[in-house]
Amino acid sequence: MSSEHNHPHDDHAPIVCDEKPGYYEILEISIRELLIERGLLAASEIRDQIEILDSLSPVHGSKLVVRAWKDEAFKQRLLENGVTGALEMGITIYDDTDFTVLENTENIHHMVVCTLCSCYPRAVLGLPPDWYKNKQYRSRAVIEPRAVLAEFGTIIPDDIEIRVNDSTANLRYMVLPVRPKGTEDYTDEQLIGLVTRDTMIGVKVPTV
Amino acid sequence: MSTENLVKHLPNDIGGLAGSHEPINLTEHPMLSWEKYCHALLDVLDYHKIVNTEEKRRGTENLGSEMIGKLTYYERWIVSASNCLLQKGILYPDEIANKTKEVAARYNITL
Repeated sequence: MSSEHNHPHDDHAPIVCDEKPGYYEILEISIRELLIERGLLAASEIRDQIEILDSLSPVHGSKLVVRAWKDEAFKQRLLENGVTGALEMGITIYDDTDFTVLENTENIHHMVVCTLCSCYPRAVLGLPPDWYKNKQYRSRAVIEPRAVLAEFGTIIPDDIEIRVNDSTANLRYMVLPVRPKGTEDYTDEQLIGLVTRDTMIGVKVPTV
Repeated sequence: MSTENLVKHLPNDIGGLAGSHEPINLTEHPMLSWEKYCHALLDVLDYHKIVNTEEKRRGTENLGSEMIGKLTYYERWIVSASNCLLQKGILYPDEIANKTKEVAARYNITL
């Protein structure tokens, strides 16, 4: 702790100070501290939310997919209602959004985008990758999905329909990919390893 | 040149934007510490419905296409949220100005 650290220790979260913050970081600290001083939110709520963010991982989604592959009744419940389906696996859709699982089949391939911004099923997939939030993916996915998928190395045959699902602030999607052939003897862990984040956004397909 | 497209689309509503064929940049950066704080702050603001997700998104649209194009993702978010808080009269310009000066001074920065 440096001797310059002499501001009063009120309730705000510790600030990591490796290098000088930029303007926007200063703005964020300022807004946060003002709201805490006003009593509109508590520093502990920010810390709790950071813990939630740190705990997020696409492996939650992978587990949903693997159970759905192995348990037809669960799959039906999950497709019917993503929120309660996820809850069965102990996953809370913490941001209070509708969560819809889209099943890929032999004939239909789903992919997910948010053309407006960056809506994403964070509770099951973690935070979205940079490319999901950038304008190239957002603008192009809805008009040339096959060209976009090809940039991910994913070639969907022409006889398979591609459905692009545009997320909103209140409705988030996850893709349930097709279980690859030849995985009948796989353990759960091996299956989970196949179901990567990108397969649940629909820009890749699980392969063995 | 037709101005129709300016009317039909908000600046950050870019699905199907004509003429955009730039390749997707697949590099991902690890989240910076301040970005995580920013994310957490905005989530908590949404939980309390002080600024909800849709307000924050509209706030981003209101930044206009130049700022949307030049600011990074979390830079847009914190500016949008600040503007929402100002518009709602929850925070005032003076107190934000004073607080940012105070915070900057901790790091020996003059704003």
